[in-house]
Amino acid sequence: MGHVVLLTGAGGMVGEALVPVLAARADVSQIFALAHKAGVRVRHENVIPISGNLQAGSDLGMSDDIQGQIRDRVSVIIHAAADTRFSAPLTESRAANVEGARNLLSFAVHCPRLRGLVALSTVHVAGKRTGLISEDDLEHCEGFVNSYEQSKYESELLLRQSMPEVPISIVRLSTVFGSSVSGEVGKYAAIHHALRLYYHSLAPMIPGTADSPVDLVALDFAASAVAHLATEHFEPGRTFQVCGGADVLTVGKMLELTRQVFLQYRPSWRKRRIAVPAIVDLPTFNLFVASVHELGDHLLQHSVSVIEHFAPQLAYPKMYDDRHCAGALEEANLRKDPVSDFYPKVVRWLVESGWADRTIVSEAVLG
Amino acid sequence: MADLPQIGVSCVEYVLDSNSVSLEQLETRGLLVSSADRLRAFGFSEVKLSSETPHELANRAAQKLLEAGDIDPLSVDAVFYVGATPASHAVGSPAAMSAFNYPVAWLQYELGMSRAVAYGVSQLGCAGLMTAVSSARDYLVSRPQASRVVCVSSDVLPEGCKREMIYNVISDGACALLVEKSQPPRNRILAYRQLTKGYYWDSIARKNEIAAAYFPTAQTVIRETLAEAHTDLSEIAWILPHNVSARSWEILLGLLETGGERLFTQNISKIAHVIAADNWINLKDATSLGKVRPGDRLLLFTFGFGANWACMVLEH
Repeated sequence: MGHVVLLTGAGGMVGEALVPVLAARADVSQIFALAHKAGVRVRHENVIPISGNLQAGSDLGMSDDIQGQIRDRVSVIIHAAADTRFSAPLTESRAANVEGARNLLSFAVHCPRLRGLVALSTVHVAGKRTGLISEDDLEHCEGFVNSYEQSKYESELLLRQSMPEVPISIVRLSTVFGSSVSGEVGKYAAIHHALRLYYHSLAPMIPGTADSPVDLVALDFAASAVAHLATEHFEPGRTFQVCGGADVLTVGKMLELTRQVFLQYRPSWRKRRIAVPAIVDLPTFNLFVASVHELGDHLLQHSVSVIEHFAPQLAYPKMYDDRHCAGALEEANLRKDPVSDFYPKVVRWLVESGWADRTIVSEAVLG
Repeated sequence: MADLPQIGVSCVEYVLDSNSVSLEQLETRGLLVSSADRLRAFGFSEVKLSSETPHELANRAAQKLLEAGDIDPLSVDAVFYVGATPASHAVGSPAAMSAFNYPVAWLQYELGMSRAVAYGVSQLGCAGLMTAVSSARDYLVSRPQASRVVCVSSDVLPEGCKREMIYNVISDGACALLVEKSQPPRNRILAYRQLTKGYYWDSIARKNEIAAAYFPTAQTVIRETLAEAHTDLSEIAWILPHNVSARSWEILLGLLETGGERLFTQNISKIAHVIAADNWINLKDATSLGKVRPGDRLLLFTFGFGANWACMVLEH
């Protein structure tokens, strides 16, 4: 008898990638794919799409019948639901990411067959810390760049407190970029929007230094890693960092690779002679942002708002230790592709998919 | 190969209207886009508006140059007349033919520069005068017999025109320079770089892209000019800015990783952005105030619609 999995956030970027990976595993017999607004696009005989809302309470907004089925049968919960908006007010981020986790824990304690709950988090719970961040690290007083980081940090605190009652492990993902195979990006995140601003000459500067590390992880690798850590290698009480680890780009290298791909796959872009964004210190970046908010028009303000809630993270250089995670994945022969291989592939996919063709103007007007 | 002649900007004069108009008065007249308070926070205070035509202002500036520099008009080999707007390039009248009444020819005649050949320099926005100085240098280098070029820039925005453009406040004014071969040259031109990016030619449709492109491109052009002059920012005594907002200079200096103590800023508040003339007005004033010493290296940077980023390094 294989695992019966409850996957929250099945309509999100990572959740959507997880559904087929879980469905393809021999040790998984059924997946309850819980989604809120987005719904579940993936269709598979073992996948039961259900709608719910983690903020609704400990019933997760599900009908009594569905709740009963899941409670009786579920052996693995993968908590991928999150409000990943960097610009959301902290109260909204907390409602989704802290209270949502609290409700899920309340639900989980009433699941008698539960063997493990894997909660997805972010390496950015390290906030404004710098240096090497280990997988066991959590508590710090350095502050955060945005409400998403802070709410996920608070969520991890809650999950750690609950570990004596519920078998929990935490899987922190770094910035998920796209498929290492096809380059495809299912759902755009802040980094994809930021690259589009560069493409359209609306990204004048980013904070940091040229050698600030940028940790990216491929979506397919992240999904396979989460599936493995939730099933075959579930280890309660542990935190795993699914990230580039030692294999990172620098800001300078990332911008150069981006420019090369734009030039190669959109030759018409060359004649625009768009400048590579300047890399500046944080006070200069903040002064620019403040100036745009004071005087800039709607389009420029919109462009800046895309960047301002996550790019300052680059001014707090850090590397993520993933040795424990890498060891756990090694046993399943799960190895990540070098970032210098998949990064250009994803940018190429973006360029060729027409990602740049929706104008920033319409987006700004639509909000 | 013979050494190239040493060429510098040996004399600078300018004219501005004596009447100043405050930001609040501009706001009352509906000539601003942003509030006066906001623009004051960005370093502006007042502007100079002129009731004269561009060519009249140009004539006064050039006359002042000839007198102050004790320059024989017949010693001038060429005159470059610069205007950022089409209105600066015609002595207008209702007749269609007046579009061909070029002010540079009128100036040559009025000032008695009978030997000088005349050139109009246009479509370079606020980079026009710096481009003219560079062209004057090239003119003198390529003609062994020529020794002096007068460059004159003049712009007067039409009455009722908004005085705020991309977060900067615009004044009317004219400036005249003498570019000449001499030994040793005053304000010797050490290096000049100009970068034109035609993608931004439509200054209305691409207003935001221009604002975003301004900073990284400025950083590049300034660094390239310093490299061409075989110097670096630490050896620059003064940065003579174009008088765009003090805030934008603060940001640009951040990109250049230098502080503002060597930026000559006093005219941003007093006279605002005089189209193509700013850097040279600032050179004149910084020199008159005794801030510039012999041998000092000076960095002049400007941006003009078109879109042109231009930078020059001088040795005083």
